[in-house]
Amino acid sequence: MNETVYKLRPSDYWRIGEHESWFADMAAKGLHLKKLGLQFVKFVKGEGKEMRYRIDVSIEKKITPEQIQMYAESGWDYVTSNKYFHVYSSPVERNAPEIHTDPAEQSYTLKELDKKLALNAGFVAIALILMISMLFAIWFLDETPTFILVQGIAIQQTILAIFIGYTAYTSLQAAISIRALRKDLINGIPIDHRAPWKKYYQLNSIIAFLFTVVVGLSAILPIVQLVKGETKTLPEASLDLPIVRLAQVEQNPALVRGEPFYMSDNVDWGNRYTYDWSPFAPIQYESDENGVVPGQMWEDGSGEYSPSIHTRVYQLSIPSMADNLISDLIKRYNYEYSDEDFVKTKHPTFDLLIVHEEEAMKEVFASKGKAVIHVRYYGYANINTVIENIENKIKLIIE
Amino acid sequence: MAYNGGPMTEAMYYVLLALMHPNHGYQLMQAITEVSNGRVIMGPGTLYGVLTRMQKDGLISLAEDDGRRKTYQITPEGEQALLIEYGRLKAMIQDGTILEEGDENE
Repeated sequence: MNETVYKLRPSDYWRIGEHESWFADMAAKGLHLKKLGLQFVKFVKGEGKEMRYRIDVSIEKKITPEQIQMYAESGWDYVTSNKYFHVYSSPVERNAPEIHTDPAEQSYTLKELDKKLALNAGFVAIALILMISMLFAIWFLDETPTFILVQGIAIQQTILAIFIGYTAYTSLQAAISIRALRKDLINGIPIDHRAPWKKYYQLNSIIAFLFTVVVGLSAILPIVQLVKGETKTLPEASLDLPIVRLAQVEQNPALVRGEPFYMSDNVDWGNRYTYDWSPFAPIQYESDENGVVPGQMWEDGSGEYSPSIHTRVYQLSIPSMADNLISDLIKRYNYEYSDEDFVKTKHPTFDLLIVHEEEAMKEVFASKGKAVIHVRYYGYANINTVIENIENKIKLIIE
Repeated sequence: MAYNGGPMTEAMYYVLLALMHPNHGYQLMQAITEVSNGRVIMGPGTLYGVLTRMQKDGLISLAEDDGRRKTYQITPEGEQALLIEYGRLKAMIQDGTILEEGDENE
């Protein structure tokens, strides 16, 4: 059994002359072409030999036995095919005549391929435009790109779009190059069978490697998010988590937890915390807590006093994103309130502190270093109590 | 591209010429070299391309196909096209005689 060697193609599949000269150079080193794959080429190790290789294009994926025989009678042995590209070889000493002796005639063999590639490029371009407009909507429709980035929900689609973008670029390049080659042939300029292939080799390998890594990682990303993310019912006891607790804000021993109003997967969604992970915010918590003080009523008499608190916590990997994240959080969750209702306040602990008070509703956005906390509280406790609690909790995630 | 009666490529002209006698593959290549007095050596790729195209255009047809080897022959249409092309080439040569007269005048 002869040893086989796989090599990455040195350049794009449609660079005919480059491939022909590469095969010849490999054969001289003792690597004889066996099979042509989409990205990889299989060689069989043997004695080094001076060989000529020619790539013949036909729109038929299968070439006829007649053609193979005709070429063989002229000294060209069929080696392998990939899609529309068929490779023939001939030892130099056999001195076989060129397969194509008339460039103008050879240009006819490219006609169908030319059409097909042009059509292809058109399709991929349309797919790309659709993909980009979809992504644009995800990132910018709410005008909160930092929030989308931190949540990590669109990173994979974006990488995929870049990948499709690259595919569109190469298929456009293929269409343009084959058309140019066809024009050259019509004008009597033959293919350069000794075209240098080395200049593309490095670039092509780097691009192939980068794409494998990036696309591979982006495929893992949603799985990591799925595995790492979890939602649990908040225990009533205090936790070592950077979440602002209702009991700490209310400071009322009479406060009890209300009846669960929505249970799913054994989680009381009115009293829960969710942990999430994303590359730009490796620690994310979101929590809800609902309580009730039996016997005490809301001042407007609408029912039993039942304060609630909602917390969003982010530890960012890039601290400078904090201000933008806060402005995006305000934009995304401000409901009907206008920007003027959100008041920037000076505070010795926080880098940025924005408060919003509306009768019983108190909202605080605070950042310190790479930590961002957003609390929305409904109840009668003072907003300063909320801020003090954030001060205590933010310490947990500054580092 | 269907043949529209315009000028033929050199390859078409010689294949038609050689197919005045039905022939196949490798021998056809030899015949082309022969009828062109060794001036035209046609590669198998060019020959195969011309054969498929001219068969599609009805200028040549299959005389015999034993599965392994196909023998081609010229059709009446092909013969007519060849004659027209021959006439055109002859006229071109005649027009070119002024070049020789010009030499004499110098």
